[in-house]
Amino acid sequence: MREATMKEKLHFFDCNCSIGRTGYPHLLDISDVQGLKREMEIAGIEEALVYHSISRDAHPPLGNSLLLEKIKDMKELHPVWVVIPHHTKEMDRPEKLLKEMKKKGIKAVRMYPTRNYHSFSLSEWSSGELLSSLEGSRVPLILDIEIVSWEDVQAILKSHPKLPLVVSNCSYRHNRFIYPLLEKNNNLYIEISRFMGGGAIEDLVRRFGAHSLLFGTNMPHYTGTAAVALLTYADIEDREKEAIASGNLRNIIEEMWP
Amino acid sequence: MSEYFDRIQSGIAIDDVEIIDIHAHLGPYFNMHIPACDARSMVRNMDICGIDKAFISANLSWNSDLVLGNKMMLEAIRSHRGRLYGACSVNGNYPDLSVSELERCFSEEKDVKMIKIHPFLTRCKLSDSRMEGIYEFASRKKLLVLVHTWLDNCPYGNMDLFTEVAKAYPKVKWIMGHSGGPFGSYHAVELAKQTKNIFLDIALSMCPAQQIEFFVKELGSERVLFGTDNPFIDPRAQVGRVGLAQITHKDKVNIFSANVRRFIDFR
Repeated sequence: MREATMKEKLHFFDCNCSIGRTGYPHLLDISDVQGLKREMEIAGIEEALVYHSISRDAHPPLGNSLLLEKIKDMKELHPVWVVIPHHTKEMDRPEKLLKEMKKKGIKAVRMYPTRNYHSFSLSEWSSGELLSSLEGSRVPLILDIEIVSWEDVQAILKSHPKLPLVVSNCSYRHNRFIYPLLEKNNNLYIEISRFMGGGAIEDLVRRFGAHSLLFGTNMPHYTGTAAVALLTYADIEDREKEAIASGNLRNIIEEMWP
Repeated sequence: MSEYFDRIQSGIAIDDVEIIDIHAHLGPYFNMHIPACDARSMVRNMDICGIDKAFISANLSWNSDLVLGNKMMLEAIRSHRGRLYGACSVNGNYPDLSVSELERCFSEEKDVKMIKIHPFLTRCKLSDSRMEGIYEFASRKKLLVLVHTWLDNCPYGNMDLFTEVAKAYPKVKWIMGHSGGPFGSYHAVELAKQTKNIFLDIALSMCPAQQIEFFVKELGSERVLFGTDNPFIDPRAQVGRVGLAQITHKDKVNIFSANVRRFIDFR
């Protein structure tokens, strides 16, 4: 093997991981914390934001509580709660919910609207109070673009310009949605687990800078190895790789609870 | 930990093993922006991670004009000798034109070595009788044929249809493109176990955890081929998947290139 200068390893902080069993696994049953940690080790990923699949597929309060129990005392795993608006009283009103989240060290939230998931609207008449509270506390909101529309994303960005909005699962087919939104919004972040178009990372960084990209993998459903190589081999500056690998996410988290 | 761990983590190309990509494309595509879709940019991205050769077919060949697509493919391989090789595009909706394109491309250019079929985009079923001339050409020349397959939602080219055709033409080496997609792994292995002339392609953007390990364990690395879908999908991601997979070095060599070398003469 040709000698090559080994650079310092990037520190990877993954914003898109989960634990818990699902009814429709992609392949193997990797549902416990140890399984996730093993996948992280194989790919060389040190830290992760984690939600529980029960929060998404069954009942948010149950999954959120299970999550805290499962990742207790694991410094490399940071909890993400799945939330719904308070109107049905399944979840507390936003002020109380946010207090609880701060107390429990929650680092981000995810929302799953649409009828196939939690059957509520992201529009202001339903989610406005919750979104405003998240915005006020700068709690990052992660939305899966396979579940919400780009019109939803645009509406939230416009109504809540200080809310850090992370769009996950952006694929190689989404640039024509992403670019105009990045031109107009500073609070939009793109998670890269499927952002795999040829030269996509270089092109986006060249046009908009590296601050809008966040490293993510969707482990343990996907392997983390693909996203790692996508970034380590990217033809961008090392400081830009570091920002995408962990720096941008760390900055967002540090700005929570102003 | 993988023998390539430090190298991949540092963004250094793999250069102790030949890497041949059996599933690549070329050029723009109607419903997405692909920044690095020209041949030069594609080869540059191959260089960064250590891919030596790639078989390409033009993106516009299937839902647009296969003749223009093949022209683009020929120009690209002629301007990147030894790096890019041709997969001739065909479309069963144009049976005579497809066979004449095969005859033209394979006789005009020695570096055209494979055939690519995309039943989903051409909306022509793999079992359509108009495909027969294409299959006979492939069978006569004992070619590798790459077919886009997906487990769900494809009445034209699902994995079972693919296997029926593979069984009917045993002299052809059939590559199951994407191995049926992210939820197709179990069925892909099941079908490949039944049908010895089927090979599994790893190209995906939604890459199931431990899929490569699963394929190797269930089927053996001799039946798994390195594909990337470049430039739809950046090829560097797939190098990471194989390089960091928890399989032996010999298995990685098989997947990266040794298997293809058994079937294709690059001279």
